[in-house]
Amino acid sequence: MRCKLKGRIIVITSGKGGVGKTTATASIGAALALEGKRVAVVDMDIGLRNLDVVMGLENRIVFNIVDVVNGKCKPSQAAIRDRRIENLFLIPASQSDNKDVLTPAGMERVGKLLKKEFDYVLMDSPAGIDRGFENAVVSADEAVVICTPDVAAVRDADRVIGLLYARSITPKLLVNRIVPEMVANGDMLSHEDVIDVLSVPLVGLVPMDQQVIISSNVGLPLVMQNDSTAGQAFRRIARRINGESDLSIQVPHHQKGMWGMLASKFGKKE
Amino acid sequence: MINSLLKRFTDHTPSREAAKKRLKITLICDQLEVNDSILINLQSDIIQVISRYFEIDREALQLEFQRDKNISTLAFNTPILCVKKELGSAVPDQGDKGGQESYKKKKK
Repeated sequence: MRCKLKGRIIVITSGKGGVGKTTATASIGAALALEGKRVAVVDMDIGLRNLDVVMGLENRIVFNIVDVVNGKCKPSQAAIRDRRIENLFLIPASQSDNKDVLTPAGMERVGKLLKKEFDYVLMDSPAGIDRGFENAVVSADEAVVICTPDVAAVRDADRVIGLLYARSITPKLLVNRIVPEMVANGDMLSHEDVIDVLSVPLVGLVPMDQQVIISSNVGLPLVMQNDSTAGQAFRRIARRINGESDLSIQVPHHQKGMWGMLASKFGKKE
Repeated sequence: MINSLLKRFTDHTPSREAAKKRLKITLICDQLEVNDSILINLQSDIIQVISRYFEIDREALQLEFQRDKNISTLAFNTPILCVKKELGSAVPDQGDKGGQESYKKKKK
């Protein structure tokens, strides 16, 4: 066991399902490991595990987080090492149990163990605000709330933010799947709108990107695709989490086509 | 340019403002655990009270929400056209804050 300062546990949560928690967890975890940190990503969605397939590690599962909490194995035995990225480990969820097999007390104890072995532990929270959420958040020092720019996701994010404040955690906001063209046309909430409504600090903005689907199809880390705009955005977010708080937040902009380029040229002359 | 021309012809109304406005109202309702009809009744009551003393522009009345970490503020803003003469002198010292009423509640 490594003797070092305590690691940080960050819960990735959203309230609403399908906004990109798992992709964000896999990507930020991979990016932190590429920064040289020892990282564990933990799938807390007991019964509906997905982080393993997104990361391409589904064939190597032996133990899972439920085994760790029940004392069947040590955290290091359940942690699957990613072969492409050094220092990146996955602790998968159990697929056969339901979320009630874990207790907040058990997760708090395991959280302390994990902190001793890793610099960062990312908890991939399930959707919802019931027991599964509680288990994911109980040991967390920090939280990243993922939100897409639509009314349902923002409303649920607001609810989760309230619950996190109640636990004395000031969450950071990640706005995911921004479509710059729609924002420019006034048909999508801008990140300013979302921040205005939720009033929490921002950790980053991620554009809608087809590469997210493509890399999850093949189980490759998104952050290693240099042509992925979302992957690059996640890398900047990881750097910001990892202490580079001055790193500016890039607003996704739309790639102008020929007409757009012409229009902006004419626009300047006017 | 082409886009904005097209927009002018197709009379495109951006949905973003609607989304933001609906969200703000919904979040206030969620937080205060009141429903829409309470807010609508509150608004019409406030209009009634204010218009006892002032001529106001009902069309221009705005509901505004401000949210902080602990406190949500609900503000009704209305331009006052003039004081009602017949009542102006008999007014007790309430309802004279430029048509702004606030309703606050601590966030849970």
